[in-house]
Amino acid sequence: MLKTQELTLNMGPVHPSTHGVYRCVLTLDGEYVRNAVNHIGYLHRGLEKLAESRTYSQFIPYTDRLDYCSGLANELAYVMAVEKLMGITEEIPERAQYLRVICAELQRLASHGIFVGSFALDTAGMTAFFYAFRERDRVLELITRIGGNRLTPNYMRIGGVARDLEEDFFKELKQLMDDYDAAIDEYDGILTGNEIFQSRTKGVSIVSKEMALDYGFTGPNLRASGVDYDMRRDEPYGIYDRFKFEVPIGETGDTFDRYVLRVKEMRESVKIIKQALEQIPEGPVMAKVPKVIKPPVGEVFHCIENPKGHLGFHIVSDGSTKPYRTRIYSPTFVMLSAFPEMAKGTHIMDAVLILASIDIVLGEVDR
Amino acid sequence: MFGQGLIKGLSITLKHLFDKKLTEEYPEVKPNLPDSFKGSFMLKVPKCIACGLCANACPNNVIKIESEKDENNKKKLTGYKMMAERCLYCGFCVEACPTKALLWTKEFENAVYIREMVNLDLFSSYVPSPDDEKPAKPKKQDEETAQAS
Repeated sequence: MLKTQELTLNMGPVHPSTHGVYRCVLTLDGEYVRNAVNHIGYLHRGLEKLAESRTYSQFIPYTDRLDYCSGLANELAYVMAVEKLMGITEEIPERAQYLRVICAELQRLASHGIFVGSFALDTAGMTAFFYAFRERDRVLELITRIGGNRLTPNYMRIGGVARDLEEDFFKELKQLMDDYDAAIDEYDGILTGNEIFQSRTKGVSIVSKEMALDYGFTGPNLRASGVDYDMRRDEPYGIYDRFKFEVPIGETGDTFDRYVLRVKEMRESVKIIKQALEQIPEGPVMAKVPKVIKPPVGEVFHCIENPKGHLGFHIVSDGSTKPYRTRIYSPTFVMLSAFPEMAKGTHIMDAVLILASIDIVLGEVDR
Repeated sequence: MFGQGLIKGLSITLKHLFDKKLTEEYPEVKPNLPDSFKGSFMLKVPKCIACGLCANACPNNVIKIESEKDENNKKKLTGYKMMAERCLYCGFCVEACPTKALLWTKEFENAVYIREMVNLDLFSSYVPSPDDEKPAKPKKQDEETAQAS
């Protein structure tokens, strides 16, 4: 009589796909996952508490460190929240608005580039990883021109952006956008159409519409489950109502859909940047804001469509130069909590894939 | 037909086999960095008026300024230390400088063997150059800043 027993296995913190910041305790029955328990907090830096001892503008560089794959978009979320609190949302100059959209969409391309690359790597597709990172590196070079750093640019300011960008930058951006469609076709050719890749990802960890809504999924993962909701289109912030773009929707909500949807979103981001480049006016990039920012007493919540979902900031002001309380609503924290249910019953090799398909960044989960 | 996607993928990689190589030959060939690049810091000491705006703007208390008043009751810089181990490289200090004395350099190989060596002493490491001798006068806009803070 063969005797079997369940095996407890630590996935992480030193696992190639969790690289030291996340641990998941898997209970295995043979090669099947029976139970999974999340352990987070390895990258906790107490950013919410740090915000209380920094002035409003001094906290902007810290938001870069939330989701370090999309620094500019995090800054935008924070800066827009403070502007809403101060009531100066209408005063942001036109050119700054367009620059913000360009920055946010560039960052979306970089973030989804990481997703495509690392997702390919988790299915052991080394070539696609390099192809995805090739374009991402060109985007990061442009971000270096914007803010001086690759991942933590610190470019957004309360009331506009830090500085105007030179003509050279726009020329290079235009060139990149012209090349991007061909690059995305390559991802499609090498990954999406690949039969081995499809058989690894199709039908794995299906998240239904109801489950996605129950867990509070946002962003690409929500849309992959078939819910047609994109903040950029449905509750436009900034000047997003001026651009024409489609919101791709997934059908089944499996890992393959979550991947395909992000590739489709990259195409839409390219469209938005192209439109923004055509429409961008000349003018100032900074509104008239006092040097010392003292918002009125009150509180505000503002969230935007980040590459990974809705990133929100809840700021409570007591009328002084520092916020009384800052709360960060991070999308991947919410979505990571669904991982145990998504991984239950799957093969152990798929568990890594499911984790990658959520597109977690632990900087944001732990804050 | 099964395998069509595989063949398509292979044809893409085959095409790239004969492409120009993209790899940067880093230690031999230095990267071409943009002007906005945030590498290390440089202080033009004669231009500095020891106003302390950079230290105020810093989110992390990185900058330590020492100054003394001379016979005309004017502030004179006697020390400028940067605890770069705590630095976020956000650039608020460079932005705040009214006389453009504090600048970014493109030097990015900042790794050292001993932790204390990360910190910068910009006052004593200053190398005089003839362009820096005339202290630029702060503009009007910056006087407003000083009043506001």
